[in-house]
Amino acid sequence: MRTRRTTAAGALLTSVVLLATACGGSDTASSRSDTSGSGSDTITMWARDTQKGFINLVADAWNKGHDTKVKVTLVPQANFVQKFGTAAASGSGPDVASIDLVFLPYFASTGVLDDITELENKLPYKDGLSAAHRRLATYNGRTYALPFTAEASVLFYNKDLFRKAGLDPDKPPKNYAEIISSAKKIRALGKDTYGYAIAGQCGGCNVFEFTPHIWASGGDVITADGKKALFDTPEVTDALTFYRKLYTDGSMPAQSKTDTGTNQPALFQSGKLGMTPLGAFFVQVLNKDDKVDFGVAPLPGKNGGSASFAGGDEIAVTKNAKNKAQAQEFVKWATGEQAQTVLADNGVVPVRTDLLDKIYIPLDPRYKVLAEAMEKGRTPYSTVENALFNDSNGPWVNMINRAVFDGDIAKAQEEGQKAAQTIIDDAP
Amino acid sequence: MTSPTKRGGTGAVHRPRLSRAGRRRLAGVAMTTPALAMIMLFFFVPLVMMLWMSLHNWPLLGEHRFIGLRNYRDALHDTEFHTAVIFTVKYTLITTPVLFVLGLALALLVRRRHRGARFFQAVYFLPVVVGLASAAFLWLFMFQSDIGPAGDLADHLGLGSRATNWFAGSTSAMLVVISMVTWKVVGLQMLLLLTGLLSIPTDVEEAARIDGASRRQTFRHVVLPLLRPTLALVLVFSVAGSLLAFDQFYVMTGGGPSNSTITAVYEIYRTSFIRFQLGYGSALSALLMIVLAVVSAMQLLLLRSADH
Repeated sequence: MRTRRTTAAGALLTSVVLLATACGGSDTASSRSDTSGSGSDTITMWARDTQKGFINLVADAWNKGHDTKVKVTLVPQANFVQKFGTAAASGSGPDVASIDLVFLPYFASTGVLDDITELENKLPYKDGLSAAHRRLATYNGRTYALPFTAEASVLFYNKDLFRKAGLDPDKPPKNYAEIISSAKKIRALGKDTYGYAIAGQCGGCNVFEFTPHIWASGGDVITADGKKALFDTPEVTDALTFYRKLYTDGSMPAQSKTDTGTNQPALFQSGKLGMTPLGAFFVQVLNKDDKVDFGVAPLPGKNGGSASFAGGDEIAVTKNAKNKAQAQEFVKWATGEQAQTVLADNGVVPVRTDLLDKIYIPLDPRYKVLAEAMEKGRTPYSTVENALFNDSNGPWVNMINRAVFDGDIAKAQEEGQKAAQTIIDDAP
Repeated sequence: MTSPTKRGGTGAVHRPRLSRAGRRRLAGVAMTTPALAMIMLFFFVPLVMMLWMSLHNWPLLGEHRFIGLRNYRDALHDTEFHTAVIFTVKYTLITTPVLFVLGLALALLVRRRHRGARFFQAVYFLPVVVGLASAAFLWLFMFQSDIGPAGDLADHLGLGSRATNWFAGSTSAMLVVISMVTWKVVGLQMLLLLTGLLSIPTDVEEAARIDGASRRQTFRHVVLPLLRPTLALVLVFSVAGSLLAFDQFYVMTGGGPSNSTITAVYEIYRTSFIRFQLGYGSALSALLMIVLAVVSAMQLLLLRSADH
């Protein structure tokens, strides 16, 4: 009787201990053990899992030539901001983080990143770095990160479908009207063939793919100081009307309304989609597939012109980095020719505009458009970018979704503007 | 009043017995301590922290400052949160009866002691062991326009076309989610109700039959009243689960179309981890917790007092 009781108590205790260690064994503890093990010869780095394809190659390139090794931890893209934010807040974060540039103003404003203004000023190729990245890394006149990887939004089009529809595959559409008419012709090719697709319920996609139309038409979505939302401007109305027309024409598949970003590229990969706005990463995806004959073109404005969203990552040293000197050295190296060449070879747009002709453009006939798009790429600057644009339930996506698929553009804009301005005004 | 002297008296006479009782008590403490420690660590400590945070302007990063009850006052005027709460209530009001009626029907079906009944009991219960997120992804795929088998089926039956986007309308999106939840959860409700049914002595029903009660009468006047404790349990589980719904909507609708399927917990998640306002998120959580406690207490009270 007693032995059974003690066994039971023992089993219970063991399970408690097991449970406790199991709970502690999740990401925070493992990252903590990483940093504690660092001492002097390891730099810990966090990156998004979407960078899996190249980030370890970059780390390997560094590790080959340096005694201090870089150790990469991949964090799911969808909760990178939360994870990095909580880790940084509790002091268990990495030495170096590769951060989506749109979040830079937020992280810089909260003081979790190290001021590396001096480091940037000493770079001989400082002015060759992507201007959009440099702008986003600046907060109150100081620099908190260096540009690392670039991304640009462009229009992908299926050359086969263009030919079948009687369109010239070497003359992609140059304004809203041309996209609308081309999409209609491609849609007419068959029941399952669509002209144009968007990811109507994806925040990141819609800031990346839709804002260029507004910029190319001379408008903007937020003032330069980030203090006022511009959702109710005429340029936004025009762009929404353009998407709405694509939808009412039937050129857009029904999926687009609720697509969280998975259907849109898949449909283009299947060869049944005429045009879609996406980024440089997709060139590599399509090349690997080798099924679709595609071209890329700049995203146009209402009456011509073009613009692009400058995306990608910046690389920053954290305030609590255990190994600051080496971390700074690594961050600097990441903008150098060796690291940037590794990126280019893996389909990522380098951030060095002075090196584009040498290491990127020769690799693929389509890269020239992407390189040019990146050079003039823009990015909205706001400490609440996540809540305004990237949140898939935020005011930006909600406005687009309601205007395009429900049709009341004026009301969607009015409410979107109000919601966005509230978020800006409530920001700490 | 008399117990202390009595206990002291017996203690003086049977000393070894007291020490055995003492040992027993010690063992009891030892046995409950781990559980208590876990509840402290994983429930009370976070709870107190949450309440403390809810009184602050507490961003994910940066300084926090005490603001008293302002978060709670803001919550009362937060239209987005109100919309989320209304949707959650609507969802709960639809899901609960569906789950309950189906669960009871299945329990009555598999109640008989046939081998076939055992087999179907297992079949109905199987989806319960699938994770909620996995189940949500499964159904998300099944109802995906153009590629999902549900569209194919609807096409063959003449109910719709393959290109129908089930998630494009707020009602149809909610119905797909409710179907998934029903498929996933009804087995558990069935099992709980079944244990309740099996605990009712067969003689009671037989007696009712002998007295000339019809099948329906026996069910209404004998079985249902005796099932009341189980009903209370099942309803509290089901209502609490529905009020706390998050995963299924996060995975399947992403809150869409046009933010029409955002639940209260979803809104708390967005407040805390998209807008990074942990303090305000905590206040919303506290409010939700109060509502949940009140609703559960009311249900238990109603079901208990109806006894007499």
